[in-house]
Amino acid sequence: MNSDTKKKKKRADTLFAYLWSAPSLLLIFLIVIFPILYTGYISVTNMNVYHWNNYEFIGLQNYKDALLVFDNGFLSALFRTILWTAVNMVLQLILAYVLASLLNIKGLRLRNVYRTLLIFPWAMPGYVSILLWKTGMFNSQFGLLNQWLTKAGLEPVKWLGSNFMAFFSCTVVNLWLALPFMITIIDGALQSIDRSFYESAVLEGATWFERTRYITLPMIRPIIAPSVIITVFTTFKQFDVIYLLTQQVGSKTGADIHTILTYAYEKAFITNNYGYSSAISMMIFAMLIVFSWLSKANTKEASI
Amino acid sequence: MTRRSLERVKLAVVNLFFILLCFAVLIPILYALSVSLNADNSLLSANFSFLPKHFTLRNYRAVFVDEPIMLWLKNSLILAVITLLVSLGTGIPAAYIFSRKRFAGRRLILNALVLLYAFPSLLSMMALYKLLTPMGLINTRLGLIIVYTGTMAVFALWNMKGYFDTIPLEIEEAAKVDGASPVQIVTRIVLPLARPTIAVTAMMILIYVWNEYIFAINFMTGSDTYTLAAGLNSLQATEMSGSWPVFSAASLVVSFPILIIFFALQKNMTTGLTSGGVKG
Repeated sequence: MNSDTKKKKKRADTLFAYLWSAPSLLLIFLIVIFPILYTGYISVTNMNVYHWNNYEFIGLQNYKDALLVFDNGFLSALFRTILWTAVNMVLQLILAYVLASLLNIKGLRLRNVYRTLLIFPWAMPGYVSILLWKTGMFNSQFGLLNQWLTKAGLEPVKWLGSNFMAFFSCTVVNLWLALPFMITIIDGALQSIDRSFYESAVLEGATWFERTRYITLPMIRPIIAPSVIITVFTTFKQFDVIYLLTQQVGSKTGADIHTILTYAYEKAFITNNYGYSSAISMMIFAMLIVFSWLSKANTKEASI
Repeated sequence: MTRRSLERVKLAVVNLFFILLCFAVLIPILYALSVSLNADNSLLSANFSFLPKHFTLRNYRAVFVDEPIMLWLKNSLILAVITLLVSLGTGIPAAYIFSRKRFAGRRLILNALVLLYAFPSLLSMMALYKLLTPMGLINTRLGLIIVYTGTMAVFALWNMKGYFDTIPLEIEEAAKVDGASPVQIVTRIVLPLARPTIAVTAMMILIYVWNEYIFAINFMTGSDTYTLAAGLNSLQATEMSGSWPVFSAASLVVSFPILIIFFALQKNMTTGLTSGGVKG
């Protein structure tokens, strides 16, 4: 075979490949990529409810508004999102580790029953659970928590009313939703550790703390790393918990605990500032790109 | 105290802890279940118990008779089935090609897909709304199908490609040596082997459409075009305390199929997802 026919064959292969993947790629381009590009375009215009069709090009004004005017709320939403991600991830990892370790205690016969029951929040549709929490647990009149408080002779609490309480309540719900996944992952990782490591460590007189520090944690780290990174992303992008609990149209609770996603949503669909909201979207997209590069570089390093 | 009995006490404490924890975790669901089955409207009474004192199915009847839930169910099912067919129909060949063939632009597209997968479609919702409006696709099923199909096309391609990668190439080569045609290789060998990932991907798409509410409530304006998720959302948002028993009944009805699917596929779910390119 000479080089010319080889080239021809290669070109035919490429054509074949694109022909078969064309429907999927075309869908993705038209429905996913094009709207993102269009969002980028809207972000440099003054499109809003008054300028729905007769909008003008205004350059980077929307980006400046978001980044330089602190009162617009984007920067505080960003800080809150980072705090939210950090608090949730730390609590999630600690609690999931403790619970998974307890599930692996020798002689615990009912462990599979506990596992199945603890996994329930993961199996429920997320938005349904959040709404059940909102109405059933947190509602200030007939929510279960306030019923209990009243019964105990205490003052009822506005669980979603103030910023601090709302942040706390959202964290509780988020942990409730996310822990089953994390427990499952850590549980699986713990079971993959060879028992003999512990036996020899015990023989050499290692304490529980030393065994955790030098055997368990280093061994489960690479196994759980991908899932942890994914959870960091989903926590950072969390919308449902905060939106459904505190920001729903018509039933806002008064707490302002916007994360960047609920903030972008509000600017687009409630205050109808489309250009500004698109600029926020583009900046969030840029952050996600940077994160995925960073996490990719990190996991590569860890796996070598 | 002997070592043995110390162990036993420890186990008893851990067991007690887990029993209490499981109960605490399930409280929101149990409470909804109890409210939905309770006949007296005793939400505000101080002596609430988890076991309803006067059992009734009235609230469940109300869900199916008074609320247009069957209509919403129909809407959800139509959307789910079409989204499923389109994204699997386009996704399976593309995933196979991206797993098996090497061609110019493949790397670039795969890298772009990773980024698109991280991109929440919520952020381009506004642009989609603006694009679909002049086409007359707002407040139509087709409009929502378009949005869902795009999001799921990325997921389907990426997830199934990851699974195809784990099927050894040698199997296909052996079939080729035995004289199987390319079409036969795909239909007789690759697709049967890929059944777990196709099943899991299909389920994830169904669950996505079943649970998606934010596009549905913004793109659909009338309650007759709502999906289940959007309808349930409207049930709790409009009439607060009065409909809470009905709402909790509706919530459990809507969750039930998802619970069944989840626990039936739990084993497949973890293998089908973890061996695919995308996890979680």
